[in-house]
Parts: sequence; structure tokens; C-alpha cells
Amino acid sequence: MPDLPTLRPALAGEPALDSTTIALQALPEGHLLQIMGATERAVVEAAIAAAGLEGSDVREAGYRQWYVVGDKQLSSKTLRELTSALPAGTFLSDQSHGRVRIRLSGPHATKLLSTGTAVDLHDAAFPEGRSAITLFGHLSVHLTRKSAAGFELIVLRSFAEALYEELHAHAA
Amino acid sequence: MASLITCPHCGQRPKEEFTIKGDAGLARPAPDAGADVWYDYVYLRDNPKGLHKEYWHHSSGCRRWLIVERDTVTHKVHSVSDAALAKLGGAA
Ligand SMILES: [Zn+2]
Repeated sequence: MPDLPTLRPALAGEPALDSTTIALQALPEGHLLQIMGATERAVVEAAIAAAGLEGSDVREAGYRQWYVVGDKQLSSKTLRELTSALPAGTFLSDQSHGRVRIRLSGPHATKLLSTGTAVDLHDAAFPEGRSAITLFGHLSVHLTRKSAAGFELIVLRSFAEALYEELHAHAA
Repeated sequence: MASLITCPHCGQRPKEEFTIKGDAGLARPAPDAGADVWYDYVYLRDNPKGLHKEYWHHSSGCRRWLIVERDTVTHKVHSVSDAALAKLGGAA
């Protein structure tokens, strides 16, 4: 099928930025699964461990919703295993193709993010491991603090370039 | 207009993250209630002075429907609750 589009990372060709104050980089388009249901985080974590995904990160993504993210692409077999490890009434939606992860870090990262979002990013209010869905400017983003000065942003694929270029322009 | 809303799921957020639907006190008429009653329900709104309950959607946050009780005179927000959970009689 000559017309079949070939998958290319949404941010391929976007320059990474790495200075002493700020670093910006597109993350591998591995897996990003949305889990929804009347359950709790511990149950989701147990299910991803049962499916052999110990390296994946579980993030709060709204009331009774989580994202399971990681750098590895998953086989359909693993996805089926994870689906069957989830309790009844809990559902999985594979968003790996639809959302892109961006890493922003460095001593100026918090300051840069606070130019675009109203979420209180002080360590006490937004500690390591905490996630929030919010706006960066006019773009909807899922934001997670990964370390004291390291953040990850998840954005819809079609908005990835706009967000990346905006962050890059602010950071440079 | 209230400019900060404390979402029960997300915490304090600016009004730009929300979409306002309007009056949360409207009761949907019966299908055969008649054209006048339906016209009223669909088009006619009060413009209350003081306490007012509205549906707000946290469209750029958790995407939950909320009920915001606010004062149209003082702009004070009195309560914010999750609409679906409130209907089910739950907390949050
Ligand atoms: Zn919310």
C-alpha cells in the first residue's frame, strides 16, 4: 500500500535545548495508556505489574483516571494482558499514537511553566509525583513533577509542535 | 464574575479553565408539557441578584461537571461540588 502514511515522531526535527538553567527535550513515543474506572491507583499499579510493565509510570489524570506511560512501545499481546489484569468496570484506551511527552527541567523550569499555567508549582503545593491537567497558554496539557526541577508535559499530538516551539522560544 | 474556582478534584484554578453552562436549578419538563413550558425551559432565563447555582465544566482540567454556587453581587464563591457525585448523593 504505497499511500499508507509512515509514522514519524511528532517532534522529530525539533531541536533539544540543554543549558545550565533549562533543558527541553521530546521524549520517545513509547506507550501512553489511559485507564478509567471506579477503582484506585494501587489496583492500576498491581495490574501493570501483572502485565510485566514495572518500568511504566502511573499518573493521576482526573477523577478515577490515570495515564500509564513509558518509553517502550507495547505489543498488542501486552495490551491484552493489561486489559485482562484490570478489574471489571475499569477500561483501557491506548493513546500512545495520540499524545506526546515533553521533558522540561533545570533551575528555571518552574519559572518558565508559571508563565503559562496557573497551577501553583511551589514544592509544597506540587511535590514530586504530583500531576495536574491544566492550560499552558491556550493549550491543554497534563503536567507532572518528576523531580525537584524536572517536569513532564503530555500534550495532544497535533498540538505538540506548537507547545514545544512555545516552550523553546520562552526558554532560549 | 468569580475568577478563581476551587475544583473538588483539581484545587484552585482560574475561570479560563472552565466552560459555564448556566443555571443548575432548571428542571426538564415532561415531553408533553406543551410548547410554552418548553420554550421557557430552553430560552428564558432569570438574571438573579445574589446566590446562584450554575453548572461549570472543568473543560481544561479534570473534565468533570461541577455545580458552582456563587453570589452575583459580591462575586464570592460559596461552594463547588461534583455534579454527578452530588446527584448520586456522594461526597467530593
Ligand atoms: Zn477539575
